[in-house]
Amino acid sequence: MSDRVIEFREALREAMSQEMRRDEKVFLLGEEVAQYDGAYKVSRGMLEEFGPRRIIDTPISESGFAGMAIGAAMMGLRPIVEFMSWSFSLVAADPILNNAPKMLYMSGGQFGCPIVFRGNDGAGGQLGSTHSWCVEGMFSNVPGLKMAIPAFPDDAKGLLASAIRDDDPVFFLESERLLAMKGHVPEGDHYVPFGKALVRKPGTDVTIISFGRPVHFCLEAAEELEKEGISCEVIDGRTIRPLDLDTIVASVKKTNSCVVVDQSWSFGSPGSEVAAQVHAACFDDLDNHVMRVHSADVPTPYASNLEQEYLPNARRIAEAVRSALYVA
Amino acid sequence: MSITLTMPRLSDTMEQGTIIKWNIKEGDEVASGAVVADVETDKATMEMQVYDDGVVARILVDEGTQVPVGTAIALIAEEGEDPSSVDDAPAAAEPAPTEAPAAEAPVSAEPVTAAPETPAAPAAPPASTATGDGRRIKVSPVARRLAEEHRVDLAAIAGSGPGGRIIKRDILEHVERAASAGAVGGTVPVPLPSVEPGAIAVPVIREVPALESTEVEVSGMRQTIARRLVESKQTIPHYQVKMCFAMDAILDLRASMNEKLAAEGVKLSVNDFIVRASALAMAEHPMFNASWAGDRILVHNRVNIGVAVSLSEERGGGLVVATIRDANLKSLRMISAETKSLAGKARDRGLATEEMSDATFTISNLGMFGVDDFTAIINPPNSAILACGAAIEKPVVRDHQLAVGWEMAANLSLDHRVIDGAMAARYLATLKSMIEEPMRLLA
Amino acid sequence: MSAVTDTARASSGGRRPLADRTSATPDQLGHWLRQMLLIREFEVRTMQAYQDKKIGGFCHIYIGQEAVAVGCTAAVRPEDPIVTAYRDHGHALARGMAPKYCMAEMFGRIGGCAKGKGGSMHMFDKPNNLFGGHGIVGAQTPLGTGLGFATKYIDEVIEGGSNRHVTLCFLGDGALNQGAFYEAMNLAGLFDIPVIFVVENNGYSMGTSIDRGTTMANRIIAKGEGCGIAGHELEGMDVIDVYEGMKAIADGCRAESRPAMVDIRTYRFKGHSMSDPRKYRTREEEEHWETDDPITRLRDAMIEGGMIDEDGFKALNREIKGEVRESIKWAEASPEPDLSELYTDVYVERFGPYLGTSMPQIVTDAEENR
Repeated sequence: MSDRVIEFREALREAMSQEMRRDEKVFLLGEEVAQYDGAYKVSRGMLEEFGPRRIIDTPISESGFAGMAIGAAMMGLRPIVEFMSWSFSLVAADPILNNAPKMLYMSGGQFGCPIVFRGNDGAGGQLGSTHSWCVEGMFSNVPGLKMAIPAFPDDAKGLLASAIRDDDPVFFLESERLLAMKGHVPEGDHYVPFGKALVRKPGTDVTIISFGRPVHFCLEAAEELEKEGISCEVIDGRTIRPLDLDTIVASVKKTNSCVVVDQSWSFGSPGSEVAAQVHAACFDDLDNHVMRVHSADVPTPYASNLEQEYLPNARRIAEAVRSALYVA
Repeated sequence: MSITLTMPRLSDTMEQGTIIKWNIKEGDEVASGAVVADVETDKATMEMQVYDDGVVARILVDEGTQVPVGTAIALIAEEGEDPSSVDDAPAAAEPAPTEAPAAEAPVSAEPVTAAPETPAAPAAPPASTATGDGRRIKVSPVARRLAEEHRVDLAAIAGSGPGGRIIKRDILEHVERAASAGAVGGTVPVPLPSVEPGAIAVPVIREVPALESTEVEVSGMRQTIARRLVESKQTIPHYQVKMCFAMDAILDLRASMNEKLAAEGVKLSVNDFIVRASALAMAEHPMFNASWAGDRILVHNRVNIGVAVSLSEERGGGLVVATIRDANLKSLRMISAETKSLAGKARDRGLATEEMSDATFTISNLGMFGVDDFTAIINPPNSAILACGAAIEKPVVRDHQLAVGWEMAANLSLDHRVIDGAMAARYLATLKSMIEEPMRLLA
Repeated sequence: MSAVTDTARASSGGRRPLADRTSATPDQLGHWLRQMLLIREFEVRTMQAYQDKKIGGFCHIYIGQEAVAVGCTAAVRPEDPIVTAYRDHGHALARGMAPKYCMAEMFGRIGGCAKGKGGSMHMFDKPNNLFGGHGIVGAQTPLGTGLGFATKYIDEVIEGGSNRHVTLCFLGDGALNQGAFYEAMNLAGLFDIPVIFVVENNGYSMGTSIDRGTTMANRIIAKGEGCGIAGHELEGMDVIDVYEGMKAIADGCRAESRPAMVDIRTYRFKGHSMSDPRKYRTREEEEHWETDDPITRLRDAMIEGGMIDEDGFKALNREIKGEVRESIKWAEASPEPDLSELYTDVYVERFGPYLGTSMPQIVTDAEENR
């Protein structure tokens, strides 16, 4: 473990810069990524190092620049597209869903799409309904794309570096609420493979699986439940596609109980998918049906107290765990 | 259309019945209201009557045979029907739906006089997901799998989950109880009764924050003690019978013997006398050297007296039962030597399994701690345990005179399935005579 | 302005001698005639196969517009990327795709250019730098900008030279009204991207005539001008006109590394798709355009110029018919994709149920022939 502690956003930047130094085909484009240093300062200083041909400010034109980047990727370049927020990607739905993930298939293997779309995802900053999307709910439905969602700075670097080197399109979901989080991050090359979940906290009574920021809520809940004598195993999925079912299943076979925590809405979501897969793979090992904790099934509210209640917070997770374990 | 007689439910808790005697034979005419059989229920022998007129076509269950309530036991041909044409496999011969094994209603633990039949533990059928009447048992998938692995009959378990769902915890607790029962005595080939279905729902306290409690890790021995004694206390219908013994004579004898044997390094304890007395008393009272075996009683020929030995706090505390094998054949000094040796070993480095197993009767003595009176929990599969307090000098009445004498309280805890109160009284009387005339113990 | 009233422009320039009109060699002209005949015959047989249920799904016929694909393709280099919309058989054949891969694709066979996974609307040909047929109206336009961005990035940033490529991005007049097209042009204008937005203006967005669907219908290049992109208008029924006009535009875009927008007036002789009863336009209008057939035009000009005679034309036609017949035979002989193909080409990486990717026969054959 590296002794060096840096912010989540710096870890992201380090991954991009290292890959850009390694491979000239890699470039970054998006709104305010160059002169403004990035709306959230993720790309700070990159314009100076790489120049305006590789750190490219785009107009507010998601459909246009996302599609443009996909065209470039078809030619073999490896664009990194920053969405200031994934909420804004919805106006680019056609290129990112209809083109990027399907190009390889539609062309019978002729044209792949090695591209990374990245940006802030999720509620929690009182941004209201339109700016608080958790796109994993909708977008993970689409085959052909990969989806990574780091919860810790070291994974932010390792997963993004892997994403940039990946030959398939990657949807990389960051949380604005985590960007300032500090953590140990290895210097130099650091690649976290896709499809390898990590047990963040071992436990024996219940398996809690989550992705991205809610992993922290799970750890918080686990700490609370520990005081009640409930031992939680918390799994950080790290990537939603590919999904590391093996790690989840191994854990559930041990604990016989499972709670899935997912910040997207419940209906047709990664959480429902994981629950379904766990039911299928662990049916004879379950002591209760898989419990799910999602964001509330309503548009994201603005008011702080409502928003906190809306999120799959530690209290709601703990309640689900108790319920899963038949503890009143 | 023939009429099917089924085993009637003749008591509120009856699940099985035995035909003690048929009052009819095939070909007999019967009339409504006639007593056709004597049936032994779980509580008594009852008369069974018929409600129809007809001719007995078939007797399906022989005398002495026990069958579940609802089982067809005889067929009656109705008027005008040829008895010889009555089919052997009547359609109505299904168990009564109300008499399913208890999967839902927990049976309260009041087994003293009417302990229900319970199957022997290893004979439990594989897990099924339906009760006898076909009602679906709700069970979580892992609980079902565990039940199959441990050959637990789901019908015998009351689920603690939502809607009575049997969950993992229910199976594990059941298995744990069964294991502690089955493991007792190590090599004693006694199939112990399994836990009465649903009888026990022990509230497990996880945490009481207001008490600022400190967690103490539980040793394996502590867990064994907890498991076995819970099992014993909850499954054996305990009762106690107490008697006080005059100890003057035995104390005198002991003092003089110890004086004479001091040179040989022998120092007899009061407990050595009690061990010998208890063992010798078995000749007259074999049921005190016996085990309840579910559907029968095993009377042991060998008399092995267990002696409870408390362990030092340094070794984590706890309690073991050291076995003095064939105590009825050993002299006082042999018993004394063996007890000392085993107790020492238990406290120093622990006993081997064979030194702790096969006890047929147990003695627990807290006299050395000044306790005057207490009761003990039976050490399964024993049928009784003797709890002895200290010999205490106190005012006593002897020959209608108030005097000062030594007395000791002896409390017997007994398994009512094996030993009734009067038997206990007689055993204590035998013991009393031996203790009060201790010369008999020297023979 | 309606498509009918503008027919005067459609037949302009047809009377001048060939030598005055083009620098193209007789071989080039013969090649274009051949390509247009191939497209025509291919599309006729496609219609037949569709009605025989050998082809499923949607099927959009290119008959009438042959001069656009052939002339535009001739005006650029083989290494210049091309991307188009769903009426794409003509572009594929003009770009050099052997008709058998195209037909097999529509038949849903493994020998298809996309292993039978794309269908009529999704013709891809990597060896010939055709980046698809795309099914969503206007969706290919940001991709076109991206292809131009990429060649420029490779030429200038990676290789450190100057821009050497130009991308052709075809669209129909129906795509003029899609937001993506505006964004694609804006970015191309903003970033000096060498991409030419070639509007194949056949006057109809499905059943909606252009003046019912877009503003500035009689001068659509104004839309490009709003993005700082130079606009050009060309007649699309004469392949020589198309070629000469496009050659100048493409050379300019390549040299200056700038985008352009070209409005090419053309007409589809058939319906929007195979299920179109064409109630929205008159027989009169159709007949008028059909008299201006691009194949007849070039044939007549070549006969007039002494480059081919009636017999030669008939022989060429027979040869083409044979070639298309062979392509159908080949396509029919090509097996259906193995069911395992369902799980190939989803991801490059193999994981879970996904079986990785491999190149289709159109690519492996090209590599063998290289």
